[in-house]
Amino acid sequence: MALVTVRFYSLWRSYLDTDSTTLQADHIDDALTQLEEKFGSRLREKLEAAGIHLDGKIQDYSLILLNGIALRNLKSTALKEGDVLHIFPPAIGG
Amino acid sequence: MESNTADKDIIRYIAGSAEAYFAPDGKRLPVISLKTAASIANSQGISTKEVEITALKQGIVPRRYLRNIGTIGLVGQIKLLQSTVAVVGAGGLGGTVIELLARQGVGHLIIIDNDCFTERDLNRQIMSTERNLGEYKVTVAAKRAGEINSATTVTTFRERLTKENAQKLLGSAQVVADGLDNLPSRLAVEQACRQLAIPYVYASIAGFGGQLMTIFPEDTGLSSVYGSSNTIPGQGIETKIGNPTATPAIIAALQVQEVVKIITGVGKPARNQILLVDARECIIDKIELGR
Repeated sequence: MALVTVRFYSLWRSYLDTDSTTLQADHIDDALTQLEEKFGSRLREKLEAAGIHLDGKIQDYSLILLNGIALRNLKSTALKEGDVLHIFPPAIGG
Repeated sequence: MESNTADKDIIRYIAGSAEAYFAPDGKRLPVISLKTAASIANSQGISTKEVEITALKQGIVPRRYLRNIGTIGLVGQIKLLQSTVAVVGAGGLGGTVIELLARQGVGHLIIIDNDCFTERDLNRQIMSTERNLGEYKVTVAAKRAGEINSATTVTTFRERLTKENAQKLLGSAQVVADGLDNLPSRLAVEQACRQLAIPYVYASIAGFGGQLMTIFPEDTGLSSVYGSSNTIPGQGIETKIGNPTATPAIIAALQVQEVVKIITGVGKPARNQILLVDARECIIDKIELGR
């Protein structure tokens, strides 16, 4: 199992009241499952309390990068020791 | 020969009109006033921009740029006056970008937008006022830029940027600044900038936060954050939390600094990284992007 650091940014950091966590996982899907179990309901509760309703799991309404690469662009979804996941909300307005 | 004589005349007029300015450190600097620059431009049949560039080349600073020079130098100011910057979208981000680029002394602005101001814009779009609701944003922005700086010329396109017209609209720009509110248009701008081999200063906002990335043609760019064009999210969190008053000004100011850095060569643009500005917690994060 690889030790992976997860960093939360902007509104997600505020609502989860933490900027990072670590988890043990060998595959990105496993890491996302653990993230959802640990933080999913808490994040949605906080968002709901702020009047923001979002459906789905964290990965459905967040931008997630693995070592600075969008999950959608990953060539390999296997995790290795020291990998970093960056998670933040999409901001698209102007 | 005639042209050289005319140039010499202009230089002579400028040098003859220069006044002494004593900087806070006691250093003496020759300067010309706005009124003098306009008068020489008028009498010589040239633009204010040409007068300002000629003055700067002689080490004479148009007084309006005095506070710029310590940071970007005379050469930096000349480069800005000789530059063309396109601003796509003249709303929250774009309006402030236009305002600041005109004050900075960018010589030519291309402004692209097909919208009119509405009441919803008044909280954050700096060009909007109660009096100009219903007017086209490009018309208001061009007028404002001209009022701020008569050396800044403006070209407006009152149309929506698309994949089809992007290269045509952005073709004469050296740098493009993002004032958009959707990802498909941003991807069209990014693609056009790659084809035109010019940098693109991406930015977006939501709530008290925003994002910024400077993308050169060889950089991975938006796909490093959003994935490929067929997997991009339709909406951001701003549809839920809105865009409050100060956020576009904060992010637009950072965009302008990026544009200035690119044109002058001073400083290091935010390439291959995404800046996440979180004004709610007073934190700016940088994530290095993989390639």
